Amino acid sequence: MSLVDATRSVTSSRRLPPLLVFGLLGGILLVYFALPFAVFLGRTGSVPVVETLLETASRTAVRNSLLTAPAATAVATAFGVPLAYVLARETFPGKRLIEALVVLPLVVPPVVGGAMLLSVVGRFTPIGAAAARVGVPLTDSLLGVVLAQTFVAAPFVVITARAGFGAVDERLEQASRSLGYGPIATFRRVSLPLASRAIVAGVVLTFARAIGEFGATMMVAYNPRTMPTRIWVDFISGGIDAIVPLALALLAVTLVVVVTVQRFAGVPTVVER
Amino acid sequence: MTLELDGLTHRYGSGRALDDVSLALDDGELVALLGPSGCGKTTVVQAIAGHLDPTAGRVSLRGTDVTAAPPEDRNVGLVFQRPTLYPHMTVGENVAYGLESGDLTTDQVSNRVDRYLELVELADRRDVSPASLSGGETRRVELARALAPEPDVLLLDEPLSALDKGLRARLRDEIIRIQRETDVTTLFVTHDQEDAMSVADRLVVLREGEVVAAGPPRQLYNSPPTRFVASFLGRSNELSARVESGESSIVTIGGTDLPADALTDGLADAPRAAVHVRPSDLTVRSMTRSGEQSSEAESISDRSGASADGGASNERPGMIGMPGTVTHVRDVGRRYDVCVEVDSGESVTVERHRNGLRENERVTVTAAASDLTAFPVPERTAE
Repeated sequence: MSLVDATRSVTSSRRLPPLLVFGLLGGILLVYFALPFAVFLGRTGSVPVVETLLETASRTAVRNSLLTAPAATAVATAFGVPLAYVLARETFPGKRLIEALVVLPLVVPPVVGGAMLLSVVGRFTPIGAAAARVGVPLTDSLLGVVLAQTFVAAPFVVITARAGFGAVDERLEQASRSLGYGPIATFRRVSLPLASRAIVAGVVLTFARAIGEFGATMMVAYNPRTMPTRIWVDFISGGIDAIVPLALALLAVTLVVVVTVQRFAGVPTVVER
Repeated sequence: MTLELDGLTHRYGSGRALDDVSLALDDGELVALLGPSGCGKTTVVQAIAGHLDPTAGRVSLRGTDVTAAPPEDRNVGLVFQRPTLYPHMTVGENVAYGLESGDLTTDQVSNRVDRYLELVELADRRDVSPASLSGGETRRVELARALAPEPDVLLLDEPLSALDKGLRARLRDEIIRIQRETDVTTLFVTHDQEDAMSVADRLVVLREGEVVAAGPPRQLYNSPPTRFVASFLGRSNELSARVESGESSIVTIGGTDLPADALTDGLADAPRAAVHVRPSDLTVRSMTRSGEQSSEAESISDRSGASADGGASNERPGMIGMPGTVTHVRDVGRRYDVCVEVDSGESVTVERHRNGLRENERVTVTAAASDLTAFPVPERTAE
């Protein structure tokens, strides 16, 4: 028996599960996620959740969030998916720069992002002033909320959809072209269905980010209140317990949307065997 | 001409992928475009299909210049090396895909799908997912999908390369059958000379973006026009030769002299030549055990002995015998490949049907002059 064989047989006799170390390290992080969540939810019993949510201020916040977040997600998807497709398919000078631009809103703190937006659409800027004059103010309005949410959340759908399109073999599109379909028809009938899972994942992430958006929203449209801005107001006046109801509502809305979208839009487009 | 390429040239950045490629396919012809990997074969396919815009040159289909036309307006069928069936459609939907872009009625589409699935003998798999097909079935469905719209030209880009050997041979026969039945003009692109020779009516050999030979497979194999074709089409040994011009030119190959007129014409001008001979045309026999002379050697000497006009310094007229040493014998199953280093220092491979030679054994490698193909080597590039 060679030395190598001898060493091997020794280690195999007291072999540990191969992923033990990874599991332990990952487990610590999981506990760190779960503990605050559980303790926070533990406060639910001492707070009148339903009564608080039925108050006008809360209901308005929920309504505003449910109006703005889907709108922001729709805008991000409508413009982000085409951008993702171009980034996945084309090479052109300056592409790196464009890619950096796409992740910029992720890198910049939302508050700063909001300040940047304000410098363009604020009430005393040419654009903001013009919009306000025709009656669609871009700050302190639902439109302002949508602008802030889109700015912060759109990169998610772009990045995820781009990865999805990148995973579709270009030859599948070439085959479609040679079978008589133009670029748009090929996109609709081949690229889009094959990248749909990634796109849906991106849409869900974007929605979750949009509905929870606080930093940029606070800068651009502190009023009308959305759930996150209302939570901040409640926290200032009433502490942690005061925000439990709205936080629960926000969590519930996000969960419902994520589960529903994944269930209906995310069904595998592949034919089942 | 169904398909015509005229002076097709393409550059990727600074690299030249295609250089002045011209070729033409007649109606119903099956032509193989053969070349080593990286020689520009796929670029030719992409240019014909319209998936790339060539730097220069013209692509014509049925007499119409389509160089500027998008792929969807060309009516070219395409099968790639890797499968491109749509995983989100059934087999039948895949085949129907190319028909729905036209102006056929639903019934016509359905009939056509049935017809082409029958052609590839997969009519019973119409409703399954492509994921449940085997490798060979996938290829056949792709053929059906490419053929169903009845294209002017079918382009097969390395359709067999990803398959294992047995399946490959079967599918090759299948492609020939389908091509005969549909009579579709086909360009079969491959790096495999065996695939190319067994499939095609005509071969076009591409090397570094240039067409270096074209013609019927057998003709190119027997009398290759260039050294590259000689070594690329089938196995070949290359030996360098010295030509001494005088009253009667003498060629020296591997230490053996031969009158130059026993070989190809036109050698007299060049002082050097490269001589090609197929491993199957060589015989090897042991110097020490003279009793063991192979029957193959006998037959060759009978054949060439009759026509030889003598004059060579070798023991048999019209033959060259090169002394050498066996470096190794490789058993490849249906034959033995014997590698011999001849005394001039060059190495040759001899195909043999029985063993009995050992390494380091002294041998004589014999070839008939008629089996040698000589290519003059210009002095500048002589190595």
